[in-house]
Amino acid sequence: MPLLEVHDMTHFFGGLRAVHDYNLSIEPGQIRGLIGPNGAGKTTIFNLITGIYHPTEGEILLNGEEITRLEPNQIADRGLGRTFQNLRLWRYLSVLDHVKMARYSKLTYGLTGAFFGTSKRVREEKATDKLAMDLLELVGIPHLADQIVTNLPYGAQRRVELARALATEPKVLFLDEPTAGMNPEELIQMMAIIRQVHSEIGMAIYLIEHRMKVVMDLCEIIQTLNFGEVIAEGTPEEIRNDPGVIEAYLGKEVVI
Amino acid sequence: MEFFFQQLINALQLGSFYALIAIGYSMVYGVLLLFNFAHGDVFMVGAYIGFFVSSALLGLNIFGALALPLSVTLSLVLVLTLIISMALNSIVGMLVERIGYRPLRDAPRASAAITGLMIGIILETGNLAILGPQRRSFPELIQSATINIAGVSFTNKKILIVFISILLTLALHQFVRHTKWGMAMRAMAYDYVVVPLMGISTNKIALMTFALGSALAAAAGILYGVAYPVLDPNMGILFGWKAFVAAILGGRGSILGAGLAGFLLGFIEIFVATIFPSTMRNLIAFGIILIILTFRPHGFFGEPFSAQLRL
Amino acid sequence: MTTNSASTPTIRQRIRALFSRIWEPYRSVPLLGWLIAALVAVGLEQLVGLPLARGLGLTKIPALFGAVVILSKPALTPSALLFTTLIYILPIGIVARFTAPLTNRIAAKLAEYPLVVTALVHLVLLYAVLHIWCDITDYRLLVARLAMISIILTLSLNVVNGYMGEFSCSHPGFMSIGAYVASAFTIVLFVSENRFGEALLPPALGPYMFPLALMLGGLISAFGALLVAIPSFRTRGDYLAIISLAFMFIVKSFFENMEVVGGARGISNQPDYATLPIVFLWTILSIWIINNFVRSTMGKALNAVRDGELAANAMTVDTRKTKMTAFLFAAFWAGVAGGLFAHVLRYINPDSFGIRKLAEVLAMVYFGGLNSVTGSVVGAVGLSLISEALRPLDIFKWIIIPIMLILIMIYRPTGLIAFTEFNVEKIFLPKGRAPEGAEHASA
Repeated sequence: MPLLEVHDMTHFFGGLRAVHDYNLSIEPGQIRGLIGPNGAGKTTIFNLITGIYHPTEGEILLNGEEITRLEPNQIADRGLGRTFQNLRLWRYLSVLDHVKMARYSKLTYGLTGAFFGTSKRVREEKATDKLAMDLLELVGIPHLADQIVTNLPYGAQRRVELARALATEPKVLFLDEPTAGMNPEELIQMMAIIRQVHSEIGMAIYLIEHRMKVVMDLCEIIQTLNFGEVIAEGTPEEIRNDPGVIEAYLGKEVVI
Repeated sequence: MEFFFQQLINALQLGSFYALIAIGYSMVYGVLLLFNFAHGDVFMVGAYIGFFVSSALLGLNIFGALALPLSVTLSLVLVLTLIISMALNSIVGMLVERIGYRPLRDAPRASAAITGLMIGIILETGNLAILGPQRRSFPELIQSATINIAGVSFTNKKILIVFISILLTLALHQFVRHTKWGMAMRAMAYDYVVVPLMGISTNKIALMTFALGSALAAAAGILYGVAYPVLDPNMGILFGWKAFVAAILGGRGSILGAGLAGFLLGFIEIFVATIFPSTMRNLIAFGIILIILTFRPHGFFGEPFSAQLRL
Repeated sequence: MTTNSASTPTIRQRIRALFSRIWEPYRSVPLLGWLIAALVAVGLEQLVGLPLARGLGLTKIPALFGAVVILSKPALTPSALLFTTLIYILPIGIVARFTAPLTNRIAAKLAEYPLVVTALVHLVLLYAVLHIWCDITDYRLLVARLAMISIILTLSLNVVNGYMGEFSCSHPGFMSIGAYVASAFTIVLFVSENRFGEALLPPALGPYMFPLALMLGGLISAFGALLVAIPSFRTRGDYLAIISLAFMFIVKSFFENMEVVGGARGISNQPDYATLPIVFLWTILSIWIINNFVRSTMGKALNAVRDGELAANAMTVDTRKTKMTAFLFAAFWAGVAGGLFAHVLRYINPDSFGIRKLAEVLAMVYFGGLNSVTGSVVGAVGLSLISEALRPLDIFKWIIIPIMLILIMIYRPTGLIAFTEFNVEKIFLPKGRAPEGAEHASA
């Protein structure tokens, strides 16, 4: 059974059709890519599946359970983690707190613990600290744990975002342009981290990318989107040779 | 029936003050996304400026030489008082902007709200300190007369107050719609970041917004003085905060909206007072406002506003 | 950076150098040392304060470190300064400095015990200082209690305006709900007077039931907060500021029309339950609980909501619930503070909870610093004391304090001590250089 299924999803912004009859099926452990020219509706699809918008039509199933109308926090809690294209980090929180925050729904100490500092809370916070440090280790920035995010270089901020998304224990991880704005060196590191995360945790990954090299290297299956519709789906090889894709996309904006 | 029309004109009169003050709040909120908590006290200052200007004009008696009839002299004094006080009070408004808001242009908006609140306290206390706590009675600038229309009698004052305030509201509306400056203001309300890029000085627009709002507040103050000839330093608090809520009710940055909401508030208050004990005026007025805002959070004419009084 | 200062130090640098030289030995004074020094100072004042004050030409012991004396009778300035120096500055300076090795050793010893023990020792000392200080005049007792109530108010408003980054104006409203509910509770049950008739319960029971009255007040004001929270947090935007403001006026007007609690004239005869130890305990309790809350991941969710609601939501944070909880929580504490306030003054009327009160609490929050427990304590105590000290200036006080706040907003828009974490474990630790061995290295 596929882990995440989207059936005939259509979305309108006012009178504008942003997404049309979108279908998706992600198997556990799979890495998939979503490409398309600017304004094709890629981020809209991410926002629709993760609950930031609710689709006009269609249904979304995670692990066979319908999540179409759920709120983003409920969807994230059920195992759909994400990062944002334009980093949405919290200005005044430390790196460690960022990662811990994503454990919010997993904490069980409740208000009693929050108000009175019960031993249960101390235990849970300690365990969360440890888990968060492990994740920071995984993305290679344990030494930055106490830093405030605004002080960090861009590449490190991207890693914080990744660690934060991982802390939600995603079964499917949505990465919205994880290498946007990175220099070649940071790019290579980021790809290595994504590979490593995938091999260690083994969740499915769905990523939006502009850089062909990243998509072609990482993904097993790639969808190409244009004007809110899927125009091609297949392996990197197939996409590379698809005349429609080349016309719509590769011809204009190849970034290697 | 006559009672109803009497109350109607009373409501319109009270609404006039709210409307003129609310517009000032609404403009600052619309253009700069700031709560100008000092505005109520700017209204109070305007009323006092009007008091001094009109007293001075009457005292100088410059029109005596012209041997005009008293009513004409008084009308001239009223018009001059309005013009001079509005000009003076717009300077007060610009000072408020310059001292309390401009230094905080890049600071959290809530901090600017605090400076506004503090400037309001300073204006109020300053007034108390300089003029003392006693109330002042505003000179009589309109000779009372009763007009009878279809069996319903009104005082000419009330009619004139309502007329002047509607006139000023419409004039401002036209200004914002059709002049270059007005368009710049609307552009800024639409996109705060882009306006400076188009060669329009944010500071100038901000100053103008405060100046216009304060000028209207001065007009409200003078008309208030004409209607209830008693001024006291706390009048800013009483009127200002209610007008502020009316401004929000009208919708962010909408001048006509703020004006209409001001009149609506006047209606609610007057008609509540005819049915319930007058002490329940605020309770019911604010209760109704709360209910309206619950179901129509963007006010009557406002666009959905996504901005937030963030840190 | 300090290249030019090496050659010719400016006056400012010299002063700074002098200060840091004086301050140097005090870096190693632990909190315990300061408390003991303060205890010595207030004890000294208790013993020799009055004769000393008379000897210096003052009629009585200066109530607030001489500030009031200086402003009301400038001719006595030297006496007031001398008194403060002899009673406070010198004894504290000397004791803190010379007991530092001892207090550090005790603090180190205490650190081995559980935090509760350490905290209790410090709190007992703090209370002792406060108690002896307040023993001099009733005026001090009043100021101290009101300042502590301000701490509760400021801290709870900081949860909403600082930690959560919304702008709430309804704190006076919540405070008045708490004040009226608690007053009605204690007066009906334990006071025999005209309005509500005979006391229903033996008055001796009163002080024990007082916490119940306060909590009831807090809970009902939290319930009132629900009326604000439901419409405000449905959509994003400035709604809270507006709706909470309207709510404040509604509550004020409501009590003005409630003849049963005295209408606009207010209600008096509250029993004297809010004594110094009681107010102290509630203040400490509120600081402890609020600090616990804001340091937990659940509390930090408020910061996440403030700094990026969308991202918080996508990271499993139930943003709506988070905002509601925090707002109701803050309203609860405002209600408790209101109940204490009513029983300290033993008279309240709706006018005590108007725009002025709002300006006062907002000023304390923004003066002390957003998102900071320490800031709120400093803001509340600082502004309370400044406000009392400036009392001789009469009305001009209300010009000076706003100007001060405007300056703070201009130069530090988020307040004096903003965005810090109040780490309870750390403040009790011994200070200064590491014990033994390391001394040689640093010398």
